[in-house]
Amino acid sequence: MTDPTQNAATPVPGWRRNLTRLQAIGIDIVLWVLALLMTEFLVIAFSGRRGPTGLLVTPEEVLLLLHYGVMAVAAVMLAMAWHLARGILGAPPGGALVYGLPEEEQDVPWSQTFRGWFVALLIQLTLFTGWLITEVQLVTFLTKFSKASDIIRGLLHPSGEILQQGLVLLVQTIFLAFMATAFAIPFAFVLSFLAARNLTRRNRLTRLAYTLVRAGMNFTRAVEPLVWALIFISWVGIGPFAGVLALWVHSVAALVKLYSEQVENIDPGPVEAITATGASAIQVLRYGVVPQVIPPFLSFTIYRWDINVRMSTIIGFVGGGGIGYILKPRVDLGQWGEVGTLVLLIAITVWVMDILSAKIRERIV
Amino acid sequence: MPDEAVRIESLTKVYPGGIRALEDVSLTVRTGEFLVVLGLSGSGKSTLLRCVNRLIDPTAGRIWIFGHEITAAEGSQLRTSRAQIGMIFQQFNLVRRHSVLLNVLSGSLGRAPFFRSLVTRFPEEEAERARACLERVDLGGRGASRADALSGGQQQRVAIARALMQQPSLILADEPVASLDPALRHSVMRHIEALNRDEGMTVICTLHDIDLIQRYATRMVALRDGMLVYEGGPDEFDGETFKEIYGQDAVPTSTLTT
Repeated sequence: MTDPTQNAATPVPGWRRNLTRLQAIGIDIVLWVLALLMTEFLVIAFSGRRGPTGLLVTPEEVLLLLHYGVMAVAAVMLAMAWHLARGILGAPPGGALVYGLPEEEQDVPWSQTFRGWFVALLIQLTLFTGWLITEVQLVTFLTKFSKASDIIRGLLHPSGEILQQGLVLLVQTIFLAFMATAFAIPFAFVLSFLAARNLTRRNRLTRLAYTLVRAGMNFTRAVEPLVWALIFISWVGIGPFAGVLALWVHSVAALVKLYSEQVENIDPGPVEAITATGASAIQVLRYGVVPQVIPPFLSFTIYRWDINVRMSTIIGFVGGGGIGYILKPRVDLGQWGEVGTLVLLIAITVWVMDILSAKIRERIV
Repeated sequence: MPDEAVRIESLTKVYPGGIRALEDVSLTVRTGEFLVVLGLSGSGKSTLLRCVNRLIDPTAGRIWIFGHEITAAEGSQLRTSRAQIGMIFQQFNLVRRHSVLLNVLSGSLGRAPFFRSLVTRFPEEEAERARACLERVDLGGRGASRADALSGGQQQRVAIARALMQQPSLILADEPVASLDPALRHSVMRHIEALNRDEGMTVICTLHDIDLIQRYATRMVALRDGMLVYEGGPDEFDGETFKEIYGQDAVPTSTLTT
C-alpha cells in the first residue's frame, strides 16, 4: 500500500538533514570550481602565452596548466561565504535546487538575483571554453567544402559492383538484429519482474534481487554495444555471432528497464483479486501481471529490434558482422562510390524498419 | 460448519508512516449473516476487509476464519484459507484482456493443477462449473467475450461469478456497487444476496446507500477513525443513527426513489 501522507508523518532524521545540507553546499562548490577553472582557462588561452616549442599553447596544454588545488580551496570558501551571506545575496543555486526557492524570491526575475547572473555567467563561460576545447573552426567549415566533394559525389553516384555483396550482408544485418532481440526477450522478461519495485518490496530476498538486478542492468546499459562487441570478438571470434552477443547484452539491459517500468505501472486491482482467490505468487504473476504488460512489452520489443538494426550496421566496423564489416575498409580506402551504395542500403533499411515498427506498435497499443 | 464464521480480536493496523487505520477492533460474524460495514471513506472499512483475507497484514490482533486462525498462516496454509473467501471489489478488478470465462476460471486457481494453470488449461469439470457460475449471474452466453467489452454492471457480475467459482464459505464485498449506475445497483446486490440466502455463504459487505442497507443487511457495524462505533440490526437503523455514524452534516442517500 502506498501512503500519500507518509512524508508528512515521518520526522526527518538528523543525519538526513545534514546530508541535504551537504548536498546543497556540494553543488555550489562544484559550480564555483567550474566557474573559476573556466575563467582561468580563458585567461591563459587568450594571454598569448607560448609553450616550450615557442608555439601558442594548445587548449589541451592549458588544461594541464590550471591551478586545480587553489581553485578548489577558493571555491569551497566562496560557496561557504555565499551560504552564510544568503540573506544579502539571495539563495545560492545549490540551495535553491535542494530546498526549493525561498518564499520571498519566488517572483523575482532572474536578472535581479545574484544567482541568476552567476548561472548566466557560468553558461557563457562553458560555451567559450567548449568552443576552444573542441577546436571549433567555423571558417574552415564554411570555406573548405571542396575537399569533401569527392565523397559527396561518390555518395550521389553509387557503384553497382558492391550491390550484390551489400545486399547479402544487409540480410545478415537484419537477421543479426533479429537474433539479438529474440535472445534478449526471455532474459529481459524474467529479469523485469525482479526489477519492478511494486512486485519486490514485500520481502527481503526479492528486495535484494531488485537492487542487484537494477545495479547490474544499469552497468550493462552504460557500456556501449561497440565495447561489448570488442569483448565478444575476443571471446567467439570476428563475425556476426559476436555482433549478436553484443547487441543481445545491450538489449537485455535496455528491455529490462523499459519492461520493468511497465510492470510498475500496472493496475494493482487484478493482482489483488487474483491473490484473493488463493493463487500462488507465480499464478498471480501469470494472471494478474502478465496480461496487463503483454501489449507494451510487444511494442517495446519491436522498437528494440528497430534500434538493433541501426546498431548492427555499425557493429561491423569493429568486426561484429553485418554490413558495417565491408563498409569500414571502403571508407578507409576512399572508395566513395561503393560507400555510397552501402550507405544508401543502410538508409533504406533503417527507414523501412522505422515505418514498419511505428505502424505495428500503433496497432498493438 | 462452525457457528462463528469470522472472529476478530483487538485488530489494529498501522500503516508505515503512522496512519492508524484500525484501532483495537473486535467483532464476531456468525455463519450465514449478511453483515454491512458502514463508515466514511478513510474510516478503515477497506482495511478491515483486507485484513480478513490477509491482503493486508495486520499490525496486531488475531482473526479466525471458521475456527482457523488466519493471522499466523503462511504459504499454502494461507492460500487454502484465502481460497475459501471470495472477494468482490469496487473496481471489479477483472483481468481486462482475458475472456469472461477465463476470468471466472481464475477463481479456481487456489485448487487448480499448477502447471496446467500457467498455460490456462483448466480441467473440463472446472470449465463446466465456470459456465454454470456465469449462468447464475445471467451471463450464460458471454463466456467468450473479452472482459473489458462488458458494461460495468456485467463486469461486476463476472466478478461475482469468479468469487462463486471459489466455492467459498465467506464473501467479502468492498463497495460492490459504488462505481455502478444507481439503476444497476439492485441487480448486482440481488446476486450477492442470492449467495447469502441460497448458498448459505456469510457475507461481509461495505455499503453506503441507506435503502440498500435496509434491504439487504441482517446486521450492521460502523467504523469511525478505525474504531468500532456502532453495532445493530437493520430495524434499529434510521436517519438518527446514520447521522451518528457519518456526522451531523450527512444526508442519507438512496439509490432509487421508487
